Amino acid sequence: MKEEMLAIIFGMAVVTFLPRFLPMAFLTRWVIPERVKMGLGYIPTAILSAIVFPILFFNEGGKVVVQPLYLLSAVSVFILSWRLKRLWASVILGMLVYWGLGFFLGH
Amino acid sequence: MKDALPIVLGYLPVGMAFGLLAGNAGLAPSEAGLMSLLVYAGASQFLAIEMIFKGITWLPIVLATFFVNLRHILMSSNLSLYFKNARLPLLGFLSAQLTDESFAVAMSNLPKVKNNPPYLFGLQITSHLAWVIGSIGGALFGPFIKISEFGLPFALPSLFICLLVFQLKTVRHFGIMAIAGVSSLFFKWALQGNWYILLAALLAGGIGVVVEIINGKRKTEGEGQEAQSSKKTLRG
Repeated sequence: MKEEMLAIIFGMAVVTFLPRFLPMAFLTRWVIPERVKMGLGYIPTAILSAIVFPILFFNEGGKVVVQPLYLLSAVSVFILSWRLKRLWASVILGMLVYWGLGFFLGH
Repeated sequence: MKDALPIVLGYLPVGMAFGLLAGNAGLAPSEAGLMSLLVYAGASQFLAIEMIFKGITWLPIVLATFFVNLRHILMSSNLSLYFKNARLPLLGFLSAQLTDESFAVAMSNLPKVKNNPPYLFGLQITSHLAWVIGSIGGALFGPFIKISEFGLPFALPSLFICLLVFQLKTVRHFGIMAIAGVSSLFFKWALQGNWYILLAALLAGGIGVVVEIINGKRKTEGEGQEAQSSKKTLRG
């Protein structure tokens, strides 16, 4: 294994670990006010939205695009998981919808 | 472990894609595997491969990784709520395997997560294994695998959308989704790199906290007034 590669891998490992570890290590020892706690409850929604929307409206090159295949599949998964309330069944159905739509829309 | 299945379905093909590209950029399967084992953060690993391919040295790669993975601060602080007074080595282990996906699955199974490290551990180690195996497999067999079939490219988006739907419990959650969604599009369009997730989540989460605080004050004031008026009627 090349030295440069080891430096890259270990460097990346350290800087990835710290933001994962430090908040968990120290916040578990703090008492957090109830209202702030409720506000923190919105963070999963916020993070997931911030991940999902750009996937739908940007292509891999970082350009703004309308991707009918992605958008239609996304709406289907949204409705499916809303109705089914079951995670892995919805995920797999969503993938099948994407796969099936791919034949009609041509991808 | 069963709850990790959708993550495994997503990580195996994406891990393979990573291994394939890593091999393409000149990494040995052992190096791709080691990176997936120790770093275990998808977006930054793809970015690193891209930079290695372009001949960029270690320091810019490590810095870019740091900024891409800063977003875990929010998830880590959120999870800290459910592991009060757990021992540090245990927290170290749990936090080292924290990813967007395992965090999101954990959030949709909160009763199982609360003060129950083995559940989160099982969920995360299964996902981690899938990622490492996928990466090594991709690096070894890359040229022979076709990853564009069976809807596999949509596995991770599909997972994220389902997890998002399970978070939408009140009208306010829809509001947060709209703010985070629109602002993430704006930040991604306006800024370079991966800042958009952290910025949009902080903005929307921050608005959520402020709304809760204002609402809380109004409620306690309202209750105070009701209490006063009921006293008045008693006196009257």
